[in-house]
Amino acid sequence: MYVELRNLNKQFNGFKAADNVSFGIERGHLAGLLGPSGSGKTTILRMLAGLETPDSGDILIDGKRVNDIPAARRGIGFVFQDYALFRYMTVFGNIAFGLTVQKKEKRFIQARVTELIKLIGLEGLERRRPHQLSGGQKQRVAFARALAPNPQLLLLDEPFAAIDAKVRKDLRSWLRETINKVGVTSIFVTHDQDEAVEVADEIVITNSGRIEQVGTPTDIYKNPQTPFAAGFIGESIVVSDYGRLHGFQATDGFDQAVLRPEFVRAVKLEKEVFPHASQHGTVQEVYFRGNALELRINLGGQVVTSHQSLEEEAFKVGEEVSVLIYRLYLLGRDSVRLMENASIKSDGSFFI
Amino acid sequence: MRTKVTKVILIILGGLFIASMLIMPLTTVLVYALRQGLTVFTSAITDDYAIKALQLTLLTCCITLLINTFFGVFAAWTITKFRFRGRQVLTTLIDIPFSISPVIAGLVFILVFGRIGWAYPLVESLDINVVFAVPGIILATTFVTFPFVSRELIPVMQAQGREEEEAAALMGARGLRIFRKVTFPHIKWGLLYGVILCSARALGEFGAVSVVSGHLRGKTNTLPLHVEILFNEFKVTAAFAVASVLVVIAVIVLILRNIVEYRLKREKG
Amino acid sequence: MPGLMRIFKRRKNNVIPGFGLSMGITLTMLSLVVLIPLASVLLILSDYTFAQFWQVITDPKTISTYRVSLGCAAIAALINVVFGVLLAWVLTRYKFPGRRILDSLIELPFALPTAVAGIALTTLYSDKGWIGSLFEKIGVKISYTTVGITIALIFIGIPFVVRSIQPVLESLDAGYEEAASILGASKARIFFRVVFPEILPAAMTGFALALARGIGEYGSVVFIAGNIPYETQITPLIIMNFLEQFNYPAATSIALVMIVFSFVVLFGINILQSKVNKVARGS
Repeated sequence: MYVELRNLNKQFNGFKAADNVSFGIERGHLAGLLGPSGSGKTTILRMLAGLETPDSGDILIDGKRVNDIPAARRGIGFVFQDYALFRYMTVFGNIAFGLTVQKKEKRFIQARVTELIKLIGLEGLERRRPHQLSGGQKQRVAFARALAPNPQLLLLDEPFAAIDAKVRKDLRSWLRETINKVGVTSIFVTHDQDEAVEVADEIVITNSGRIEQVGTPTDIYKNPQTPFAAGFIGESIVVSDYGRLHGFQATDGFDQAVLRPEFVRAVKLEKEVFPHASQHGTVQEVYFRGNALELRINLGGQVVTSHQSLEEEAFKVGEEVSVLIYRLYLLGRDSVRLMENASIKSDGSFFI
Repeated sequence: MRTKVTKVILIILGGLFIASMLIMPLTTVLVYALRQGLTVFTSAITDDYAIKALQLTLLTCCITLLINTFFGVFAAWTITKFRFRGRQVLTTLIDIPFSISPVIAGLVFILVFGRIGWAYPLVESLDINVVFAVPGIILATTFVTFPFVSRELIPVMQAQGREEEEAAALMGARGLRIFRKVTFPHIKWGLLYGVILCSARALGEFGAVSVVSGHLRGKTNTLPLHVEILFNEFKVTAAFAVASVLVVIAVIVLILRNIVEYRLKREKG
Repeated sequence: MPGLMRIFKRRKNNVIPGFGLSMGITLTMLSLVVLIPLASVLLILSDYTFAQFWQVITDPKTISTYRVSLGCAAIAALINVVFGVLLAWVLTRYKFPGRRILDSLIELPFALPTAVAGIALTTLYSDKGWIGSLFEKIGVKISYTTVGITIALIFIGIPFVVRSIQPVLESLDAGYEEAASILGASKARIFFRVVFPEILPAAMTGFALALARGIGEYGSVVFIAGNIPYETQITPLIIMNFLEQFNYPAATSIALVMIVFSFVVLFGINILQSKVNKVARGS
């Protein structure tokens, strides 16, 4: 492990911002700390940077304990949420600042900054001040400024939060590519799961100061290990009476279940394939979601969500349809279990 | 229509107030200063004692400014760039001189350095006169104007936040470089504004200086004290002539203040 | 100093360097210039018995100065609230030629040395002065009476009130008043029911600031007051008189009363200010 946190604790006026936090990131990886606001993800990032001191626990970078090393000497680049660009310096001055502090040679600084400006694609804007730049450009300058002193670890606090939705998508893939190109180990904080899934190699899910799960995006999606992770990732709805759904049985110790739209398939009554595993429901609402339709279907009082391809014949509101639920995540107090629809097998050996 | 009438009435009322309270006193000074002709006016303001008083006033103002600017920058930096317990208490303590009568400001230095003061043996052994001497005047003026610079800087620095400084510190910059390169460009107009207000008050301070000065002509007389002496000796024209010098300074201060305030607003906007 | 430093302990880790140094400089200078000299008041009084202290501060002559200082300062501050609201309203809501000049003139009392203001007002309002002679005809004397003191304190206090109210009026959305007028409220009703409650805390802050300044004011008042004991003698002046007689304990005793009163006002201002800030922030 290149970066490792061991049993970190941090309290603010009795509020636990970090509760026995432990996880590690491999060298060269791009990790995303994902969680709702107030879950402690920013505190973890700030402790890594040295902007906050943990009450207890160890922070290791490259095998060395850095708790007592001041922030400036941890070899970290930090990109602030609102960039914190120096408003009275030019783009060049901002990027060069860290190198000037290290008393690097003038010619070296010139070359390094030029190289970085090329990397972020802002050639020709060296003399601009931050207020003359767009949000996306500011973000790139902040990124280059953090990279200039060649940090061993790059930390980014909500890097896309202050950027309009349109530019955000481009910037995400740009950031991912550029970090891969530079090869620096990076950790970013976000509350947006799409962003985490799209950008990160590895996701760390935080909730009320605790780490819920660490893994690749696919891993977390397929095998959520805690009720929180199961509910937080994907567009989930929580069902309490899951024993009433066809093909599923109530299980002791699991009071609720999580149902994702992709676990649910609705077809016209005449196209029903698994009569035992399916049940009938009424289409309540149909929304157009750009690339698909989203359906709300009432199954005897329980409303579930499903997607439908635009290629298929659209349902009408009020129409009766056959609904098949493939699987559910059962939620216990602190465990999650995957439950498949038991009746599909008895309907014959079809595979989807 | 009725709105228009209200508007005109209110403007006239406000104008009358300003005319009788502010404009006419100002005019009085200038008219009385010149009513016996230019020669009397010039001789009053070029009088030896007047020149000495002006010199002392300027000296006091400069030293006070140095002390208060130094203090103001450090106090504002401490209060806005760090989070610590008792920040509100510290801010309130700094504001104390605002609410203390100038007479008391002078009195406390007599209680420290005067013949009954606890520091009297110390200053005497060093052969320094504080009370009824120039150091006392400077101390009393410093006390009265102590919060002026920090009070202007604190809101400006608060509005700027501390992220830029944090970013610079994370890259290893030391305090002085952070202040010079990152903080100072943000606060330069605010600082100038505070310096102007501080110098206006320091030039004109009367009560506190009056207590500690001892009114020694040519030695411990500042311009405002000189005005008082002339006025009490019924040399009214001379008093107003010297006062008019202070009025000119005050008007210059007002104009500078306006320019700086305009720049300050533009920076913020 | 280390003791004081411990009181103001840094609460959270912060990467910005220089906390110890700047806190040290701030506290040292604050102590040297303000706190220690002020504390000397108590040191001097420790040689004085409470009975002596009490006798000085409750002497009828002293009490009459409280009445003059407090009374004139309170009346001046009240008048300033009325004209302060009017001026702040005129300066923020109306456009007219000369508005900028009027606005900067408000600051004049801050910039003009108090002694200059003192002799100018005394002359202007004396029975031979431009304004004083007009009032003389109807039998009202201004200079050397409590009316004169009040006028000097109005001069000193006006910028405090205007500058407290102006930002609140500026931040107050005009749409708010428009909404009320669409609902059919009369102009006066809009002002007293909609605008006035919003600016009340700021007006009170301005009142308190002007009052605090007025009670302690010396330079502009001393000329116009005339200093007749029991009639126009103000508290700062009686302190000055005791000092001239080298009666330091008596001067210090009365100073202590004024300091305590100032702290009470300062405390009140702080509470009001936090309320004003809430209004200005719109929460």
